[in-house]
Amino acid sequence: MAEKVVYRAKKKKIKLFDIVNYIVFILIGLLIMVPIWKVIVDSLNAVGVYQFRLWPDQFTVGAYRTILEEESLIRPFLNSVWTTVLGALLGLTLSTLGGYVLIQFDMPGRGLFATFLTITMIFSGGMIPEYLVMKELGLTNNTWILVVKHGLSVYNLVLMRNFFEGIPGSLYESARIDGCTPMGIFFKIVLPLSKAALASIGLMFAVAVWNDYSNVKIYIMDPLKVNFQYKLMVMVADGDTPNTTYGVAQSTLHNAGIIMAILPFMLLYPFLQKYFVKGVNIGAVKE
Amino acid sequence: MFEKKKVMTSAGVEVRKKPLGLRIWTNRGYYVMFLPVAIFVLILNYWPMLGVRYSFYKATPITMNKGTNEFVGFANFTKLFETDAFWNAFQNTLELSIMKLLITTATAVIVSIFLNEMGNLLAKKTLQTIIYLPHFMSWAVVASVASLLLSPSVTGMVNGMLRDWGVLGEADKNIYFLADKEMWRPIFYIINIWKETGWGTIIFLATLSGINPEQYEAADIDGATRLQKMRYITMPALANTILTVLILNLAKVLNMFESVFVLYNDAVYDVSDVIGTYIYRQTFAVALPNYGYSTAVGLFRSLVGCLLFVICNWASKKVRGRGIV
Repeated sequence: MAEKVVYRAKKKKIKLFDIVNYIVFILIGLLIMVPIWKVIVDSLNAVGVYQFRLWPDQFTVGAYRTILEEESLIRPFLNSVWTTVLGALLGLTLSTLGGYVLIQFDMPGRGLFATFLTITMIFSGGMIPEYLVMKELGLTNNTWILVVKHGLSVYNLVLMRNFFEGIPGSLYESARIDGCTPMGIFFKIVLPLSKAALASIGLMFAVAVWNDYSNVKIYIMDPLKVNFQYKLMVMVADGDTPNTTYGVAQSTLHNAGIIMAILPFMLLYPFLQKYFVKGVNIGAVKE
Repeated sequence: MFEKKKVMTSAGVEVRKKPLGLRIWTNRGYYVMFLPVAIFVLILNYWPMLGVRYSFYKATPITMNKGTNEFVGFANFTKLFETDAFWNAFQNTLELSIMKLLITTATAVIVSIFLNEMGNLLAKKTLQTIIYLPHFMSWAVVASVASLLLSPSVTGMVNGMLRDWGVLGEADKNIYFLADKEMWRPIFYIINIWKETGWGTIIFLATLSGINPEQYEAADIDGATRLQKMRYITMPALANTILTVLILNLAKVLNMFESVFVLYNDAVYDVSDVIGTYIYRQTFAVALPNYGYSTAVGLFRSLVGCLLFVICNWASKKVRGRGIV
């Protein structure tokens, strides 16, 4: 009898807690989604208003057409696309090569290589010496700076190395005994087994290149060589917006610019969420 | 991170016995594979390190071209220590980064504890998808959204709402939030919470999923309430992770740059300028920059950063048995 009473009382408590918990999380979800939704709606509405609306009342895709047709906007967008693709490819190449070499435990000099990389995580020359080196290399005012600057990430290389270390050593051994060369093992065994890690780390590189603003601001002056994030800041923060066509307000164009600046990853994100998130956990595996 | 592997395969032991030359020869393929990495590291990381020598020179773009940089000893550093704007930036960097770190960690811990209590898996997954989302937006995008919402123009949502609610009267002007010395920091923290709290929960959720459910069952038998279980089981389990997160991020507090760079403006330098933005302006926003001086500021930041690294590395070894990297 007494047991039953306790049980009932408890069940009621859990319910109240759950209801509060759900309400709190609906609010958190709204806090995140409301600004994003407002930007989406405003980018499709011909006139800018401050109110939050669920749907545009003067629907137009004019702002997006402006972005696609106006050279000073679409060129930066295309620059973002190609630098992101090449940056991710270069980043993956260097981090898989380096990560693979670092797990060759009987290679003389392995420790030296590791130290060589670790030092760069602790000390750096700083913004100005880096700028002067890039200037020397002819990479100032050059869109390629984005690919080069992001192509190497010692942090991602270490993540890759940690992942490779998790592959059973017996696989390497047997391949070696069968006469496989280091390159052969790398392409035929290591890479096929690392598809998930390649996807996550590739995405980390891609996000870093696509989202870069500071390096463009520091290194590139020519308005047709910048990337889209930079162009967006020029429009919104500096107010330097090209003349809008199709009868849309400047603020509509600004909002459409924001959407274009997040579009590729927002489209991929729901499908690739696990790869986006996994990068964090690859690093944590080696506890 | 790079410690020697203790486990030896039988083959591994055999290899150790071979002479060095032979071992290098058998591993030649790996040296070739490391070559591209080494080249990039040398160019991107080590070559700029040589550039710190400029901090002892007076080096303007003109003297750099002619190769006539004048050696000035520690003059750049003396100037640095006597410049109020630098100390302002140094202090701001510490205050902004440490506050940001504490606030976003606290919100991430709270959100993950409550998210962990959510019974419905689908609801939990959906929420995780939503709260991770802002992390992937660039600072340029986040700053653009913020400046549109907070804009003092007629399309600014926050000003419009304040007017609707009667907080701003007919006679009042719209508030220019991001150019207001009182408002800038709170807004900066709120934006950081919005962007990074969700992402910060990942590591705490991982810790929470590792708690042995038997602990909760035992507490149930003892008649503990849900809040008591949170207080006496969940929180202590998180303590170590919280400490780890704080230590790892403390080593990087001086790196704060882009988040401020996109949100600050000349009206709020007093409360927002950080070392990174100070270096940027001293170099790219003055008529004749002295690269020597900006390099000196950068070197000072790197050296303090190294010191922080050593301290945090030591603390990390104490707390979790391994260093930061």
